[in-house]
Amino acid sequence: MSRRSRVPRWTSLARVSVLIAIAVTFAMPLVWMLATSAQTEDLAMSPGLALLPDPPTSLPGQAHDNYKSVLTDETVNFPLFFRNTLIVVLLGVSGAMISSTIAAYGLARVRIPGRRLILLLTIATMLIPFPVLMAPLFMLYAKIDWIGTFLPLYAQFWFGNAFSIFLMHQFFRALPPELEEAARLDGCSTWRTFTHIALPLSKTALAVVGLLHFTYMWNDFLAPLVFIVDRDMFTVALGLQLYQSRAGQTPWTLLMAASVLTILPVFLVFVLANQLFTRGSISGGVKG
Amino acid sequence: MIAGRDTLPGDNVLATVHRVWPRRTAIGGLVASAGGLLLFGPRPSDDVPAGRVILDYWEKWTGAEGEAMRLLVDEFNRTQDTIYVRYLAINSIDQKAMIAIAGGSPPDVIGLWNFNVPSYAEAGALLPLDDLAASAGLSRERYADAVWPLLTHEGRQWSMISTCGSLALYLNLDVLESAGIDPASTPRTLDDLDEMNERIIERSSDGKLERMGFLHTEPGWWSWIWGYHFGGSLLDSTGAPTADAPKNVAAYEWVRSYPERFGSRELLAFQSGLGFYGTAQYPFLTGKVASVVQGPWMANLINAFAPSLRYRAVPIPVDVGELDAAAPVGLIDGDVLVIPKGAKHPEASFEFITWLQERARLERLAAAHGKNTPLRETSTGFVENHSNGSIAVHNALASSPRAFVFPRTSVWPRYVSEFDAAFQGLWLGEQTPRAMLSGIQQTMVREIAKERGGRRRREQSAS
Amino acid sequence: MTTRRPGTVINLLWVTPWLVGLVLFFLLPMGMSFYYSLTDYSMLEVPLWIAFDNYAALFGDSVFWLAVRNTLIYAAISIPLAAIVSLGIAGLLDTDHPVSHVVRVLVFAPTVVPLVAAAMIWLWLFNSDHGLINAGLSWVGVNGPNWLQERGWAMAALIVMSLWSVGQAVVIYLAALQDVPSALVDAASIDGLGPVRRFVSVVLPTIAPAVVFNTIIQTITAWQVFATPYIMTEGGPDRSTYFYSHYLYDQAFLFQNMGYASALGWVQLLLITACIAVPYVMVRKFGGGP
Repeated sequence: MSRRSRVPRWTSLARVSVLIAIAVTFAMPLVWMLATSAQTEDLAMSPGLALLPDPPTSLPGQAHDNYKSVLTDETVNFPLFFRNTLIVVLLGVSGAMISSTIAAYGLARVRIPGRRLILLLTIATMLIPFPVLMAPLFMLYAKIDWIGTFLPLYAQFWFGNAFSIFLMHQFFRALPPELEEAARLDGCSTWRTFTHIALPLSKTALAVVGLLHFTYMWNDFLAPLVFIVDRDMFTVALGLQLYQSRAGQTPWTLLMAASVLTILPVFLVFVLANQLFTRGSISGGVKG
Repeated sequence: MIAGRDTLPGDNVLATVHRVWPRRTAIGGLVASAGGLLLFGPRPSDDVPAGRVILDYWEKWTGAEGEAMRLLVDEFNRTQDTIYVRYLAINSIDQKAMIAIAGGSPPDVIGLWNFNVPSYAEAGALLPLDDLAASAGLSRERYADAVWPLLTHEGRQWSMISTCGSLALYLNLDVLESAGIDPASTPRTLDDLDEMNERIIERSSDGKLERMGFLHTEPGWWSWIWGYHFGGSLLDSTGAPTADAPKNVAAYEWVRSYPERFGSRELLAFQSGLGFYGTAQYPFLTGKVASVVQGPWMANLINAFAPSLRYRAVPIPVDVGELDAAAPVGLIDGDVLVIPKGAKHPEASFEFITWLQERARLERLAAAHGKNTPLRETSTGFVENHSNGSIAVHNALASSPRAFVFPRTSVWPRYVSEFDAAFQGLWLGEQTPRAMLSGIQQTMVREIAKERGGRRRREQSAS
Repeated sequence: MTTRRPGTVINLLWVTPWLVGLVLFFLLPMGMSFYYSLTDYSMLEVPLWIAFDNYAALFGDSVFWLAVRNTLIYAAISIPLAAIVSLGIAGLLDTDHPVSHVVRVLVFAPTVVPLVAAAMIWLWLFNSDHGLINAGLSWVGVNGPNWLQERGWAMAALIVMSLWSVGQAVVIYLAALQDVPSALVDAASIDGLGPVRRFVSVVLPTIAPAVVFNTIIQTITAWQVFATPYIMTEGGPDRSTYFYSHYLYDQAFLFQNMGYASALGWVQLLLITACIAVPYVMVRKFGGGP
């Protein structure tokens, strides 16, 4: 087997400059967040972009102050919010991945009556604006006494998640059918085919679904706002709200420090998942 | 045709070491820290004492304002043993409260916006407080004249006050002086204001505006008040809208005179260079705009970012034909406390609210928020110790016979929304004041008619 | 490929949990919201039956038509833009080079950054006095507009901002591009096909399911745009960036017309369905759709 030399044409000037432009454009919110989180309020709010404080050596010190302030704030208990969000998101993502993958495989590969209709219905649920669903959902949860727990935030995902089902469905459809057919011919049940053939081939897809759902749940602010009634059960998304005052002063540097802490886990998950959708890296796959 | 992979025979061992192990350690580390957080991390404090009636109090304040109320709630919980108040403060509390009310599990006390009272009251979502207030001795005479209308609607009392603030004109005395204006002088009419503006305006060498004396859009949070300063109003006593009344038209002719005189484009360019409220770059603090219409909380900002700034608050000027120094005109804004219908312990809820209505406590809350007192009488020291040097002006405004509150109709949010949008059109020079106001008038006549029709329909179906 | 065994009941087990969830968490609330759309309902008191009055009122509601128009313009421009940009960026990043990995993280980052932080950076960027965009324009001699405060330009600014969120679509494309066999691509290039033909004949058919997915999601996202304009322009100036979801939200929670808002929600569903049905029918040819 000859190795195809995949020399990415990095020497191509156009490609490099486009990538630099992309990198700079997309990095801007991030860089500004990081910079502001390590500044004093004065510097942060001065017009124009000041990335480094006046004696640049004061940066680590100020950063330490800001982050410490956020983490030890008596009234805004960020570590607690972190823990709450972790619980909710882990429960939600695991539920979503399990239930959605199964349902998606069923819709993609199993002869279920009305599966086209079910898929369309699934997509249709994403068309309903959440404000319209909020009130009826709240009433439902109130009736079964779930308000005051974390259940409204993650329980529904154990039944399935439309976005994830649709995404996994598309990935399953893209799998070449030969392997699964071979397995069926060998006498495997549909379930075994699913677990032993389809799933191992779908590591990438699973990583994407997991990552995207994790991101969505971690930053979701509307659902916790409606369903959580106890400050001790706030998620980080709600916690960020606490820094913003309407007619008062928003401590922007602290808000940015809190924001950086908030997105850190998502970044870590992304970096890990990224390995799985990289051409040339070791991922689930069999050369057929 | 399956997941592609480009490999060299034999590159696996090295690749494994370089790829898999760092990833495994990273995952391991992530799992360990997550596990650590879950197992050993902070827990919610479960310190609700047993045997007490538990009240849920939802409030809209965050930051320092939310904290001020939390301290009071903590004190209440500490100093008696029959009630425990669980305090929840977050933005968008009215949205949350509506959903909870619809869902049949409302909290026990809600801190609403004053403009929520008419619609909530008309919908029967609030507990009337007349009897409770009477037996607790909280009568109308306790409160500043302008505050009482905020608490009542259609003849009944539906709320108690938590904080209020009157609007005044803040003057940056340093800028005034540098423009040759006597800092002790007070613009009383809008003509005075215009003149002050003319003297303070500075332009750069290429004609761009650099400094202004006054600008309606700074901060521009109350686009609808100007008619009142011309002696007009937006709602008549029957609850019908009067947006296009002649005095309102005159008011917005005056508003439009600014973009007409200075140019919409130029004003927009000037505005976009101004800093935000809540930062040291707020134009009043930096002197770029010498006067702003603001509430008493303005002093908190000044003290935080420009403590050496010399300032003074005066009543917002009125049209020359409306001048009456004894009765200044000003908007009284306020936050109220209500008990929703369906609250499980209404007497306990009211006991908590009554406790808050103590003069010392209301003043403490007002001082922390930087606002004026909602009460008729002031304790000695309130004015002197207040962080706002001009708080006496704000107090006086709340007692003025010409103080006004938001037009008390349940469609007020729609009214404001129309006004804000139309004002922007006026400022951009896209419509005339007459057209703008008659557009608003037509919409509001329709909306109020719809609202009334709906109410009639309900009454009929109920009977 | 599908199972040969009809075994319907057992087959249904695959989707039973989801069907239960569908009914409980979606169809039931959707049914309730449809009921509300036929009532006068403020959430503060019981709903009052008014049949189709809300829907009838929609037609005469000038703000409704304004919101539809604004959203249509926004969608018509931002959806194709997002589709092209996300696919293009994914193509550029489809290598195993460290720089590519870094840029991937950066491209995904804005979808995670809290809106409050992103809003500040955009306010700074679009600032007409010392914002970066107008500074750049002035170097080429163009006098930049007052982006967020001028009719038309505010819409343009929001469309530009929407491109920051292509990260999610890029990630999905990257995963899908993994399945494109480099052998076939190389064979095609050896056969003399240019990059465009290679893309259309080899790459596109393989990633067609992902294209369908992302296009549908981008359409839904565009039609439901709310948070960014809500914070950046508040629907202004003079409602020129007042979008459908914003109007729906205002009707539900500000003007306390949940009944009317529910009707708006159902009409939005129909509008988005119509918007998706067109490309769906077109893409059917590629065989990648449901």
